[in-house]
Amino acid sequence: MIELEVEQASDANLVVAVGRWYEPALAEVYRRHGGAVHALARRILRSDPPAEEVTQEVFLDLWRNPEKFDAQRGTLRSFLLARTHGKSVDVVRAEESRRRREERTSRETATAPYDIDREVWDLAVAEQVKDALEALPDELRQPIELAYFGGRTYREVAVLLDEPEGTVKSRIRSGLGRLRIHLAERGVEAAGAGL
Amino acid sequence: MSGTTGGPAAPLSHEEIEELLGAYALDAVDPATAELIEAHLDTCVRCAAEVSQHHEVAGLLANSGGVAPADLWDGIAGRLGGTSDESWDRLAARLRAPDDREAAGAAPAPSGPGAGTPAPEAAVVPIGSSRRRGRWVAAGAGLVAAAAAVLALVFGLQVHHLNSQVEALQARHGLSAAERAAIAAPGTTRVTLTAPGGTGPGSTPATIVLTAEGTGFVMNDAGDGLAPLPADRTYQLWGVVGSKIISLGLLGSRPGIVPFSVAGAGGVSAFAITDEVAGGVVSSTNQPVAEGKVQV
Repeated sequence: MIELEVEQASDANLVVAVGRWYEPALAEVYRRHGGAVHALARRILRSDPPAEEVTQEVFLDLWRNPEKFDAQRGTLRSFLLARTHGKSVDVVRAEESRRRREERTSRETATAPYDIDREVWDLAVAEQVKDALEALPDELRQPIELAYFGGRTYREVAVLLDEPEGTVKSRIRSGLGRLRIHLAERGVEAAGAGL
Repeated sequence: MSGTTGGPAAPLSHEEIEELLGAYALDAVDPATAELIEAHLDTCVRCAAEVSQHHEVAGLLANSGGVAPADLWDGIAGRLGGTSDESWDRLAARLRAPDDREAAGAAPAPSGPGAGTPAPEAAVVPIGSSRRRGRWVAAGAGLVAAAAAVLALVFGLQVHHLNSQVEALQARHGLSAAERAAIAAPGTTRVTLTAPGGTGPGSTPATIVLTAEGTGFVMNDAGDGLAPLPADRTYQLWGVVGSKIISLGLLGSRPGIVPFSVAGAGGVSAFAITDEVAGGVVSSTNQPVAEGKVQV
């Protein structure tokens, strides 16, 4: 029987097999990354049904269009998470209750500590990420959290923080750059890069 | 809600786009601006690399996931258009020509998420039954040995290590990045398939590149390769594993580069390609149009 040994296959090879409609390969991709995808969707959407729908769509998209993943541009996990984020943000922005949600949670999101799930896939990496984020000055960390976890545009973040738009977009960029350097110094290079 | 969103955005300079890359990577720009940035990324390697880095960092921030929820997978599998059955039969059904897929999906539809039970290995699957021209052998694990006697392989080939010719093939056919990465991995070997009895032009119509991890690629020689088939025919790839011949997938009527997967690259001792009815067959009585033995 034809059988790719999916558990030993690299992410790149799994995507090749997905390209040939090999379901066990997609199942293995899901096993490796489904938890992170679902957790991000749930964090942004704050509700299970839409988070589950987004999670399913992310993996169905990979099934239908595996060629959109470019292994030379990054890891499969970061690719899937970027897709998850985009879809989640689309849902958030389409919601009619958006304004109420904003009022209720904006301050909370901006000031909440980075509460990482305890069932994290790699606690060591999670600790490093938490440290790096906490080491970031508030003015760099807040715009990133509001944009990434709050699903807001940088212009909306500028209004929330009462800062000029240009300042906010620069801070998001330099904050991400600083995080990357912090993480690299701690030996963390990429999400789920183990395989 | 603030200011300008949507509508046609004014062109942005490289520097302006650079400043927006962080916000773009976090999906924090409006759609019109995102479009401008994406057009720029297609041509600017430096900005594309920076966005990739931002995505990696964002991925780490998001990385608070635990175990993937099992019930969600059931929902995904139920929407793939097939079941999770991983037999060759199921794979072959998934690999049907597009005009056959709808019919393929209709036959063994699962009754609900996760309801698909794997078919017994020896089940006779009515692949392409409406088009079948007879002679097809109902195959299961035990019957492939019988097919082996019919599908007589003439082993006459060489294995080469990956070389620049493969790169030329890649350039010609346009491999995806994932495929290039797989092909470039260490331990990859190449198997030249020869036409039985053939000499001169067209005698080596296809090449198989096999990675150590079990991903392979059939590369059709563009000049003297496998000739295009009518739309109702397909090339089908077979592998000899021990005493069995298993189908490794359909190559279509005009194959370029086609990836396939096998369990452990060392397990396949030879490859063969046959010309079959579209939709493929469970076992073949046709003589191979190309064949080659893996030499270790």
